[in-house]
Amino acid sequence: MKQILLIAAGEWRYWLRSRLALGSAFIFLLLFFVTSVLSSWHIEAQSHSREHHQSEAEDTFLAQPDRHPHRMVHYGHYLFRTAAPLASFDPGLDMVTGQSIFLEGHRQNTVMFAESAASADFGGLSWLSPALIYQLFAPLIIILLAYGSIAREREAAVLAPLMALGVSGHQLIAGKALALLSFILLMLVPLLISSSLALNRGESLNALLLLAGFYFIYLSLWLALSLLASTVFKKRASVLLTLFGLWFGLNLVLPSLAVNAIGSESTAAGKIESDLIMMADLRKLGNGHNASDPAFTKLKADLLAEHGVDNIEELPVNFRGIVAMYSEKKLTKVLNDYANKRMMAELQQEQALVRFGWLSPALAIAAASRAIAGTDLIHYHLFQTQAEAVRFNFVQGLNRAHAEALSYQADINRNKDEDSWKKARVDASNWQVLDEYEFQTAALSERYSNAAQAMRMLLAWLILAIAILFWRGGSIKP
Amino acid sequence: MSIVNALLRETKFISKDRSVCFWMAIVISLSALSLGFGLAEVNRQQATIDKLLIVDQEDRAAQIEKQKGWGGAAYYSFHLSYDAPSDFAFAAIGLRDVQAWKHRIRMLALEGQIYERDVGNPSIALVGRFDFAFFCAFIVPLILIILLYDLRSSERNAGRFNLLEASTGQANNLWLLRASLRAGALYLCLIVPLIAAAIIAGTSTGTLILACLFVLAYILFWTALCFVVSAWQKPDAVLLMTLLGIWISTAVIIPAGARLAIDKAVTLPAGSDILMLQREAVNDAWDLPREATMNAFFERHPEWADYQAVEQSFEWQWYYAFQQVGDQKAEALSKAYRDGRLKRDKLASWAALLAPPALLERALQNLANTDIKASIRYEDSVRDYHAELRAFYYPKFFENQAFDKASLEGLPEYKAAK
Repeated sequence: MKQILLIAAGEWRYWLRSRLALGSAFIFLLLFFVTSVLSSWHIEAQSHSREHHQSEAEDTFLAQPDRHPHRMVHYGHYLFRTAAPLASFDPGLDMVTGQSIFLEGHRQNTVMFAESAASADFGGLSWLSPALIYQLFAPLIIILLAYGSIAREREAAVLAPLMALGVSGHQLIAGKALALLSFILLMLVPLLISSSLALNRGESLNALLLLAGFYFIYLSLWLALSLLASTVFKKRASVLLTLFGLWFGLNLVLPSLAVNAIGSESTAAGKIESDLIMMADLRKLGNGHNASDPAFTKLKADLLAEHGVDNIEELPVNFRGIVAMYSEKKLTKVLNDYANKRMMAELQQEQALVRFGWLSPALAIAAASRAIAGTDLIHYHLFQTQAEAVRFNFVQGLNRAHAEALSYQADINRNKDEDSWKKARVDASNWQVLDEYEFQTAALSERYSNAAQAMRMLLAWLILAIAILFWRGGSIKP
Repeated sequence: MSIVNALLRETKFISKDRSVCFWMAIVISLSALSLGFGLAEVNRQQATIDKLLIVDQEDRAAQIEKQKGWGGAAYYSFHLSYDAPSDFAFAAIGLRDVQAWKHRIRMLALEGQIYERDVGNPSIALVGRFDFAFFCAFIVPLILIILLYDLRSSERNAGRFNLLEASTGQANNLWLLRASLRAGALYLCLIVPLIAAAIIAGTSTGTLILACLFVLAYILFWTALCFVVSAWQKPDAVLLMTLLGIWISTAVIIPAGARLAIDKAVTLPAGSDILMLQREAVNDAWDLPREATMNAFFERHPEWADYQAVEQSFEWQWYYAFQQVGDQKAEALSKAYRDGRLKRDKLASWAALLAPPALLERALQNLANTDIKASIRYEDSVRDYHAELRAFYYPKFFENQAFDKASLEGLPEYKAAK
C-alpha cells in the first residue's frame, strides 16, 4: 500500500513539474469557468423573459372582454417553456427545440422558435456548454496526464530497477491510477460548483451528486483506457497517437455516424405527413362548427331523449355548445393518438441512438447527462403533453360556458343585427378556465430511470477496461 | 529529373508506410460513408415531398368538395409549400434538420403559420449528421495533424534525420515533398468519392468544381500549418498538442465566442411577440368598426376601395381583410426578425474567417443551399405564394363572383424558390 501511495505521490510531483500538464489543466479550468458563467447568464435571462411572456399571455387572456365563448377558443393561449434548473450545465436539446407553443381549439400546433434556427451558424461544436466541455475536453486532459505514466518509465529505463525493488506491475498501475483518480475527483469540483447554481432554482442535491457520479464513471473510463494504452505500447508517441485517434473517433466520428444510421433506418413521419393521414380519419368525425352535420344526429337524439323534449330549442343547454364539447373531445382523441404515435417514433429513434452508446461512451454520457438535467427528448415530449392538457382543459372550459351560459336562441341569431351580436356573449368571468403554467422537470427517480441504460453502458465499458488493464498489468515487463 | 526521381521514391515510400495507408483507408471510407448517407437522406426528403404532394392534393380536393362558397373553400383548403433539397445537399445537410423546409398554409394570416416547425427528431439535430461538410471541416484536419505533426521528429527519433538532410541537396524540399504527397493522397481520398456522389446526384459541374477548390484550399491551409509547426525542435507531444490546440481554438472556441458575441450584438424580436401581435390584431378586429379594418386593408389594395361594407352580418371579405391586416400589423416585427437573422449570418460569414473549419462548412452549405440564407429564401417564397393565393381569391370576394368549383382548378401552385 505504501508503495502505491509513493508511486501516486511521485506522479503528482511529475505533473507539477510538467508545463504541458499544468498548462492544459489551467486552460481547461478557464474554459469551463467562462462557459459556465456565460451559460448561466444566458439561461437566467431566458428564463426571466419566458416567465415574463408567460404571465403576460395569461394576463391578456384573462383580461379579454365579454364575448362569444367560441371566439375565445380561437383566440387561444400561449405556453412558454422555462428551462430546467440544470439546463445551465447541460442545455441538451433546448437549443434545437422550439420553446413556445400556441394553443387553440381544434388544432395541435408545433412548438416554435428554436434558438439554433435563428442564431449565427458556426457548426454544431459552437454550442459549447459546460457539459460538452466535460464530455469532450476532460478526456483530453486525462489522456495528456496519463499517456506517459507507464511508457515514460519504460523509455527512461526505470521500469527494470523499479521492478527489481519488488514493485509489481499491478502496484505500479494502481499507484498511477490512484494519482489520476485523485485528479479526476479534483476535476469534478468545478462541475459541482457550476451545477450548484441549480440548487437555487429548485434542483435537489441528489441530482447534482448523480450527475457528478456519471461524469466520474465516464472520466474513470478514459483513465483506464489511457493507462491501458500506456501499458501496451512501447513508445510514448504511439500511446499518445492511439489515444488521440480514439478520442476523436469515439467523441466526434461515431456519434454522428450513429445519427446517420438511425436517421436512415427508422423513419418517423413528420407533423405535416401524419396530419394529412389524420385528416382523412377526421373527415369521418364531422365539423364541430356545424351543429346540423349528420355526424351529430345521434348526439342530438340522445340529448333530446335524456331531457324528454322534442326539439333542441327546448333543451336547458345550448346544443351548439354541446356539439362543440363533444366534437372537441372526439377530435382531441384522434389528435392525441397521432401525436403519441409521432412521439413514440421519435423516442424509438432516440433509443436506437442511445444503444450506440455500447460503441461510443460519449453518446452514453451525453444521454445520461441530458436525462438527469431534464433536457432530453422525454422532457421535450413532456412539455408537448402538458401543453396539450392545458389546451384541452381551457377549450372545454370555454365550450362548457358556451353550452351553459349562452342561450341557444341568442347563439343562432348572433349574426342578425348589432343588438343580437352583442347579446350572443358570455361574461368575462368565464375566462377563468386557464390554469397557471410552469414547466417542471420530472421527479429525480424518473429521470434516473431514464438515464439507467446509459449508465449501464458506461459501467460495462469501465469494467471491461479495468479487467483488461488488470490482465495486462500482471504482465508488465521492463 | 531529380525531382521526378524523388517523387517516385517518396511515393513508393509512402505506399509502404502502413500507418499512412491505414489513415488513407479511413479517409476514403468515411468520405464514402458520409456521402452515401447524404445521398440516402436527400432521397428520403425528396420522397417525402413527392408523397406529400399527392396526399395534399387529395386532402384539398376532399375539403373543396364539401364547400358551397369561396370563403369556405379558402378557409378549409391548405396548400403545401416545400424547399426541395438541391443537387449538392447530399454533401452538406446543413440547417435542414433545424429549419422547417415544408409548410401547409391557407389564406388566414400568414404570420401565424409561417413559423410552424415541422422538423424531424431534435436528437438528430443535436448530435448532428456525419455529412461530407462536417467530415471535411472538422475531422479531416485531425487526420492531417496525425499524418504530418511528426514529419521531421519521427526521422529524428529514428536517427535518420541528419543523414536525410545531408543526402538531399535542399533539406526543406524533402520535407515539403513528403508533406505534399501525404496531403495530396488524402485530398484524393476525399474528393474521389465526392465526384462519384456528384455524378450520381447530377450535381452541376460549377458547384462541384467550387466544392473541390474549397476543400483543396482548406487542405492546403492545414498542411501549411502542420508543416510549420512540425519544423519546431520540440518533443512530439508538444507538437501534437499545439496543433490540437489550434484545432480546438478554430473549431470550437472561436466559433462559440463569435456566436455568443454576434447573437448578443444583433438582438432579434422574440418570435412569440410576432405571433401575439398578429393574434391581437386579428381578434380585436371582430369588435372594431369595420371601416377601421377595411381602410387599413385598402391602403394595400386600393383597387377594391369602392367596396361597400355590409354592417352587422358576417362577410368573408371583411374576415379575410382582417386576416391580412393582422399580417400588416406584425409586418415590421416579422421583418426585423428576418433581417436580424440575415444580419447575424452576414457577421458570422466575416467572423468565420478566423475559424477555418466553420468557414469551410459554411461555404459548402452555401453551395448546397442548406444555410440560413437559403432557409430565408424559402420563407420569402412561401410569402410570395401566400400573396398569390390572396390575389386569386380577392377578386372572387370583392366582385361577388358566383361560386364555381371548376375555377378552383386554377388555384396557384407553389413554385420553389430560385
